[in-house]
Amino acid sequence: MEADASLLISAVVSGLLLGGFYAAVSVGVAISFGMLDIVNIAHPAFILLGSYVAFIGNTVFGIDPILSVMITLPAFYLLGMLAYQVYYVAFERRDDQSLRGLSFFFGLLFIAEVGLILVFGVDYRSVQAWYVSGNLNLGVVELPWRLLVPFLLGLAMVGALQIFLARTFIGRAIQAVAQDQQALRLMAADPTKIKRIAFGLSFATAALGGAAMIIIQPIEPSIGREYIGRIFAICVLGGLGSFPGMVIAALTLGVVENITATFFGPSWAPAVSFGVLLITLAVRPSGILGR
Amino acid sequence: MASSLTLSNIVAGYGAVRVLDDVSLSVGAGETVALLGTNGNGKSTLMKSIMGMVRPAAGTITATIDGTSHELVGRSTEEIVDLGVGFVPEGRRLFPKLTVTENLLLGAFRPTARSAIAKNLDFCFETFPRLKERSNQLAGSMSGGEQQMLALARALMSAPRILLIDEPSVGLAPLLVQRTIDKIKELKDGFNLTVLMAEQNFTQAVRIADRGYVIVHGKIAFTGESAEALNNNDLIREFYLGA
Ligand SMILES: Nc1ncnc2c1ncn2[C@@H]1O[C@H](COP(=O)(O)OP(=O)(O)O)[C@@H](O)[C@H]1O
Ligand SMILES: [Mg+2]
Repeated sequence: MEADASLLISAVVSGLLLGGFYAAVSVGVAISFGMLDIVNIAHPAFILLGSYVAFIGNTVFGIDPILSVMITLPAFYLLGMLAYQVYYVAFERRDDQSLRGLSFFFGLLFIAEVGLILVFGVDYRSVQAWYVSGNLNLGVVELPWRLLVPFLLGLAMVGALQIFLARTFIGRAIQAVAQDQQALRLMAADPTKIKRIAFGLSFATAALGGAAMIIIQPIEPSIGREYIGRIFAICVLGGLGSFPGMVIAALTLGVVENITATFFGPSWAPAVSFGVLLITLAVRPSGILGR
Repeated sequence: MASSLTLSNIVAGYGAVRVLDDVSLSVGAGETVALLGTNGNGKSTLMKSIMGMVRPAAGTITATIDGTSHELVGRSTEEIVDLGVGFVPEGRRLFPKLTVTENLLLGAFRPTARSAIAKNLDFCFETFPRLKERSNQLAGSMSGGEQQMLALARALMSAPRILLIDEPSVGLAPLLVQRTIDKIKELKDGFNLTVLMAEQNFTQAVRIADRGYVIVHGKIAFTGESAEALNNNDLIREFYLGA
């Protein structure tokens, strides 16, 4: 009994930490899908691109994995802008968004993944840093640094973006653009430019999410696929357009998955998380904090 | 400084359908001009042509903002708003999932408006106390009257010099129509605006208009040089009021 309780506590705590990491990889989709209504299923491929940047910075130049990604953030921002611009010219401008737009991102996912395989092969890669091993001992619980650092990174990213979205003119325009593009023009804002900026930010968060991912686990190019369902589930569960909702959903999923894995075995975890999604949506179709 | 608007020989429509046929009109500095006409005569098309949302096939639209003239045809909507032409569109077009305050702050996106944001927000809340009470409510959850107030206030947040208002009375109860029209007059005086207002509600519009045009089937059918001229015109009685 005693042992079960401490097992439960540790499952909850590391589940919360895992949830913070889920927030880190989901926040970009909370922007592109939650705010722009663009289903970028290629997002996880760019998370992995971020992981490989961290890997190269770390193994070739001996730099800290997170710092490696930080240095290349402007490049990811521009890459995101470019991806949106291509999508805009090829699909959105022609009012051809839904189905063929999805095929565009499918193609992008495929190209990015094949590119990563060609360049990096299919071997598992990992990074070295002081926080990849060891624990923070808090007496009652021990927090592994390799979970704690991604957790903090995730919360810092969400917090910074939340402030940006709520307090700046561009941020508010990003929240508004999918609701009524024509009306946004009447605010003197160019909707295409606003979406380009948002997409750039989304890609930049993917890169940082990638640094978090390679800290938590060794990666290989196809690992991103495991995350597509989970990331979209978190965004829908939290309520589209709501960062706080997305974080609550990410933490919930982390905890539920971890408890399930601890007591019933890891293979049950995905089933349970989608169960949580289905039940929540049955009770609250707009998600936890959806507007 | 003076801000005015002049349309000369505007031809505009949708695809092959011609809606506006050689329309010329002007709004002088500090004037409130009513664009009168029943449903489907081209009032909104004219407003959209000014705002760059419908591209005219011929004609010119000149806006003079604080003494500087700009040709509007060929410019994008966001450029035109940025010059200082505000627009309250048909159907209000609020951001339904954003709060009242967020809608108002978006109104001030225009760089020129950002420095005056606190002052203009105060003014809007003073003029529409209801909006202040509801400042954290989602725009989409408000009543029609409140939404119309928010749409007006949001357009004012961009600190426009010329304001176009498309049918502010639509969907409002008679008492609210009267109040909304009074507010437009109040805002116009407070901000020293030049106003062009499209309306079907002749009686209400003429209460605050200095002058007016009657548009029938996309042509200017009558120009009233004063409110009395509009009130006493036989043509209007016959065609417009059906009396
Ligand atoms: N988007 C559109 N596409 C095609 N025809 C339109 C469109 N909008 C309006 N019209 C037509 O243009 C004419 C004038 O409409 P409108 O300018 O909305 O008039 P009003 O605002 O005076 O009611 C109508 O015959 C209407 O059917
Ligand atoms: Mg109309």
